[in-house]
Amino acid sequence: MGDYISSEDEYYNDYNDDDRDSLDGYQHFRFEGGCQNESAPSSKVITKESLLTAQKEDLHTVMQVLPLGEHHARSLLIHCRWDVERVLAVLVEKGKEQLYADAGVTVVEHDDLSLSKFSSPLTCNICVDDVSTNEMTIMDCGHYFCNNCWTEYFIVKINDGQSRRIRCMAYKCNAICDEAKIRKLVSARDPNLAERFDRFLLESYIEDNRRVKWCPSVPHCGNAIRVEVDEFCEVECTCGLQFCFNCSSEAHSPCSCRMWELWGKKSQDGSETVNWITVHTKACPKCQKPVEKNGGCNLVSCICGQSFCWLCGGATGRDHTWTNITGHSCGRYKEEDVNKLEHAKRELSRYVHYHDRFKAHTDSFKLEIKLKETIQEKISKLEERDSAFKDFSWLTSGLNRLFRSRRVLSYSYPFAFFMFGDLFNNEMTEAEKEIKQHLFEEQQQQLEANIEKLSLFIEEPFHQYTEDKVAETRMKIMNMSAITDNLCKKMYECIENDLLGPLQQAIHIIAPYKSKGVEKASELPLCWGPNAGDSSINDEGGCSSRKRTRIGRSCRQSH
Amino acid sequence: MVDLGRVQKELQECNKNMDVSGINVKPKGDSLTHLIGTIPGPVGTPYEGGIFQIDIVLPDGYPFEPPRMQFATKVWHPNISSQSGAICLDILKDQWSPALTLKTALLSVQALLSAPQPDDPQDAVVAQQYLKDYQTYVGTARHWTENFAMVSSRGHEEKVQKLLEMGFAEASVRSALAAVGGDENLALEKLCSG
Repeated sequence: MGDYISSEDEYYNDYNDDDRDSLDGYQHFRFEGGCQNESAPSSKVITKESLLTAQKEDLHTVMQVLPLGEHHARSLLIHCRWDVERVLAVLVEKGKEQLYADAGVTVVEHDDLSLSKFSSPLTCNICVDDVSTNEMTIMDCGHYFCNNCWTEYFIVKINDGQSRRIRCMAYKCNAICDEAKIRKLVSARDPNLAERFDRFLLESYIEDNRRVKWCPSVPHCGNAIRVEVDEFCEVECTCGLQFCFNCSSEAHSPCSCRMWELWGKKSQDGSETVNWITVHTKACPKCQKPVEKNGGCNLVSCICGQSFCWLCGGATGRDHTWTNITGHSCGRYKEEDVNKLEHAKRELSRYVHYHDRFKAHTDSFKLEIKLKETIQEKISKLEERDSAFKDFSWLTSGLNRLFRSRRVLSYSYPFAFFMFGDLFNNEMTEAEKEIKQHLFEEQQQQLEANIEKLSLFIEEPFHQYTEDKVAETRMKIMNMSAITDNLCKKMYECIENDLLGPLQQAIHIIAPYKSKGVEKASELPLCWGPNAGDSSINDEGGCSSRKRTRIGRSCRQSH
Repeated sequence: MVDLGRVQKELQECNKNMDVSGINVKPKGDSLTHLIGTIPGPVGTPYEGGIFQIDIVLPDGYPFEPPRMQFATKVWHPNISSQSGAICLDILKDQWSPALTLKTALLSVQALLSAPQPDDPQDAVVAQQYLKDYQTYVGTARHWTENFAMVSSRGHEEKVQKLLEMGFAEASVRSALAAVGGDENLALEKLCSG
C-alpha cells in the first residue's frame, strides 16, 4: 500500500492545478491507482467549428496515399463510411480501379474536361434543347448536360436528402458529381440550398461515421463525439453530459445497453402495475373489474354487487359463515393457475427488490453530491488552521471515488435483475444461475459495505479533529478509496469474464470500467496542419490559449 | 414543375415511329402530367397478341424524378401485381436517370414482360407459380392476356362511353372496368352494386 500512497501523493500535486469542475459531481481523474493501465482520453469533442478540421484530417490521410483531389477523397470516404482504414484495406484488396469504380470516383486528365472541342450549340439530352456550350457543364465522367437541367436535378437530389452521393444524370453512370460544380450551379439559383448542401456534406462526417455520434444533450449543445477505439464506452461531452456512446442514453454500465433499455421500459410501461394487479386482485366474474380484498373472509363483494369466492374467483351467492360460503367448494387443486400466480409473485418481488436497491443508491448518490459543498467548507476551515496539512485533495479525490463507486453499485442492481432473471433462461441452467448469482452478490455486498464505510469516513467532522486524527482519517479515506476502486474493477471483470462472457448472446456488451470515471472527451484543436497529430502542437494559426493549455495537459499525461 | 416542353417532345418522338415499336403514349385528359402508354405483348411470350395499357403519372420533378407507372390492364406476371398493376422495375425507382424517357421506360417494361425475374417478385403468388409450376403459369398468363389485354384494348373507350351514357361518373367507370379486367357486364354490375 506504501507505493500506492506515494504515487497518489504525486498525483495530487498534479491534480491541484486541474481546476475543471463538472456539473454533476463527477470529476475526471487523471491518476490511476497503481495497478491500472489506462490510456489518456481517446475520445474527442467535435464542435461546429472543429467539424471541418476533423473531416480534413481524414481527407488528408487519404490524399496522402492516393493522388486525389479533396472532393474525390470525400467521395471515397463517404463510400467507406469515413473509415480510413477500410479505404486502405479495399485499396490493397481490390486495387485502385475497383475502389474508384465502386465509390463513383472518376479521375481524368484536365484537358479532356472541356466542351471547347465540340461545336456550339449542343443538344442537351435531358431537355432536348439546343444549348450553347457556355451554358453546359461537363462532369469528370465526360457526360455533359445543360446547366439548367443539372441545376434542377441537383435541387431535386438535395431536397431528397441525397447530397452526399449525387450521381451523374447519364443512365448507368456511377460517377459522383463534382461538389464544386454542384455548389456553383445551385448557388446561382438558390444560395440557401447551396449552403444546406455544404452543411450536409460536412455533417456526413458525423451521420455516416460509425465512430462519431451527436451528443444527445437536450437542448442540443451542437457537439458530436468521436471515439477512437471501441464503440462500447461511456463519454462526457464538454457540455457536461455523460452518455453511453453505443446507445446514446445515460451512462449505465455495468448494465448492458439492452438491459438498460429493458429496465427503462419496465419502470415506464407499468408492467409492474400489471404484475401487482395480477398478484393482489382478482377479476370480478360479472363486471371483470379487478377487485382487491381488503380484509375479512373469502367471500368478496364487488362494487357491482356480485359476490364471489376469493380463493377461486368463481361467482357465489351471498350467504356465508366465517369458514365457508354456502353451497360453494373450491378446494380442488389446479396446478397451472398456481404456477402462473407464483411466477408473477416471484417476478414482482424480484423487481421490487432490485428496484428498491437501485433507487436507494441513486438517492444516496444525489445526497452525496450535496456533500461536495460541505466538504469544501470543512476544507476551508482546515486551511485556516495553522496545520502541517496544506493539501486536501485526498478529500475531493475520496469524494469522487465515492460518487463513481456509488454509480457502479446503483447500476449493478438492474444488471443483476436481468442477469439472474428470465433473460438467459435458455443459456444457463437454474443451478448455474444460482452459482453465478452467488458469486456476483458476494462481490456486490463487499462493494456496498465498503462504499458505506467510505461515505461514513468522508462525513466525519474531521475539521474539528486534531492533527493526528486528521492524518488518520486521511489514511482511512485513501485506503478505502483504493479498495472500492479495486472492487468495482473486479466486479466488471467478473461480469465480463464469468457472467456475460460465456453467453452465446453476444449482444450484451458493457462499457469497460474506467477507474477515472466516465471519460471526458477532449476538444479537437481548431487549427489543423499535417503535423497536428503530434503532441508538439503548435502555436500557429488561431489556437486559443485555453486550448493550448489543454493540449499541454494531455501531453503531460501521456508521459 | 414538370418540364412540359420535354414531355411534348417526347410524345412527338414516341408517336412518330409508333409503327415500328408499337409503343405509344397519349395524354389521358387535358393535362400532360397524366398519360396512358400502350405496349404490345412481346412475341413468343404468353403476352403475345395482347395490348397492355399503362397508367403514367409524371411527378413534379420529372424528368429528374422517375415517372410513376402501373398497369391499367390486368396482367399475370411475377414482377407486376395482379391486384394493383404495380410494377417492380429498378429504372422506375432508384436506377432512374433523367436521360431515360417515357419511351425507354416503356421499352424496359416490355422487356420485363418477356424476361420475368421471379427471384425479385412483386406478386409472390405468381412468382411461386412461375417457379414451381411453369406450365400453369403460362396457361394463366395466356388466359389473362386473352381475357383482359385483347378485349380491353379493343373498344375500351367505346365501353367507357357506353357506361358514361348510362349516367355513371367517368372516374368510377374507368376504375370499375379496370377492376373487372375490362368486362363491360361485370363493370356494370359493379357500378350498380355501388
